[in-house]
Amino acid sequence: MKNKRWFPVAYMFVVTVFFSAVIIGFSQVTEQRVKANEALAFEVAVLKVLPGLYDLNTGAVELHRRFTEEVQQPSDDSAGAYTLKQNGQIAAYALPFSGQGFWAPIDGVIGIEPDKKTITNIVIYQQRETPGLGAEVAQRKFCDQFINLTMAASDKPVVFRRPGEPLNSGEVHAVTGATQTSIRLEKIINDALKNWRERINAKQK
Amino acid sequence: MTQLAREGLWTNNPIFVQVLGICSTLAVTNLVLNTTVMCVALIFTLSLSSATVSLLRSFTPRNIRMMVETLIIAFYVIIVDVVLKAYWPQMSENLGPYVGLIITNCIVMGRCEAYGNSNPPGAAFIDGFFNAIGYSFVLLIIATFREILGMGTFLGHAVPYFSSEYWDKWIIMVMPPGAFFMLAIVTWIFRSIQLSKQEKKK
Repeated sequence: MKNKRWFPVAYMFVVTVFFSAVIIGFSQVTEQRVKANEALAFEVAVLKVLPGLYDLNTGAVELHRRFTEEVQQPSDDSAGAYTLKQNGQIAAYALPFSGQGFWAPIDGVIGIEPDKKTITNIVIYQQRETPGLGAEVAQRKFCDQFINLTMAASDKPVVFRRPGEPLNSGEVHAVTGATQTSIRLEKIINDALKNWRERINAKQK
Repeated sequence: MTQLAREGLWTNNPIFVQVLGICSTLAVTNLVLNTTVMCVALIFTLSLSSATVSLLRSFTPRNIRMMVETLIIAFYVIIVDVVLKAYWPQMSENLGPYVGLIITNCIVMGRCEAYGNSNPPGAAFIDGFFNAIGYSFVLLIIATFREILGMGTFLGHAVPYFSSEYWDKWIIMVMPPGAFFMLAIVTWIFRSIQLSKQEKKK
């Protein structure tokens, strides 16, 4: 039987079916946990950009509780952003954004003050950019540039400048050696901010 | 068995004698913790895939054996990946694409081809296990130096002197080129010891 021409094909088929079946079964068992972890990563990102909700030593259960109890879900009034309310007043917005990066989608959350002009913080919780180059956009060194950044009123709320160039208000440095990732991320962030600003201004007029 | 152990750990060490699996050596050795997890994943994958290849060796047609080997390796790596994603998402994030890259780690395929294909499963398992250990201890040496010199920490804990202001942190150690230098130095030292022993025997 082993010398038959169809044997390798049939053998490969059987082996593949067997191993795939085991993996499918295995990932079904862990699917819920993986989903819960992904959901938590997003919740933590939202908590990080809102003031006073996140600290390093808090466990996952407590973080999830804070997210469900203290953060308001997006509504029409907030134009799709999560909000934090203090004494009935909006204390900060957390706007999720996502779009296609160089290799895979980039997902993040951007925090905005009630004045709708100042960025509190930015967190990128999901990306598959080139390690050491594009992936630097998820590092604090890059993201810290956004803290207390004032958005420009123009069509481009945040402008990415080449590394080393002098910065004006509303500008940050792109990542060295990651032109493609930087261009895409700039577009993703600006599209999200512009869209949100238009919607929320239309709401409050 | 001692023969297999000595070969995997020393005389035929995957890193500094066979020079296989260098890409992961360069990529994941900047933190000891990441390296440890990577090594555990490799020990698991290498020993079990070598044993599985050996188990199927009398049925597998020769002309498609490499396809079957890749499939088996991928199977174990995906299991590691799923386990990390489900139970240690932080680490899964840290290692990023490198867990998936174990599939293409030359040591795994190399051992399956060189040993698993022609030996019984038990021996193949032991051979894979010791080769993975041989790989791991070299990686851990490199990672220890890189983390201490580059970040002033060991397993995330501050090391006296190296974390103080008297020590100018070697940024290059954290970056991939630092691994090149460390790998070359480690290879140089171990090969010199081996060669001088061989000289003495003559």
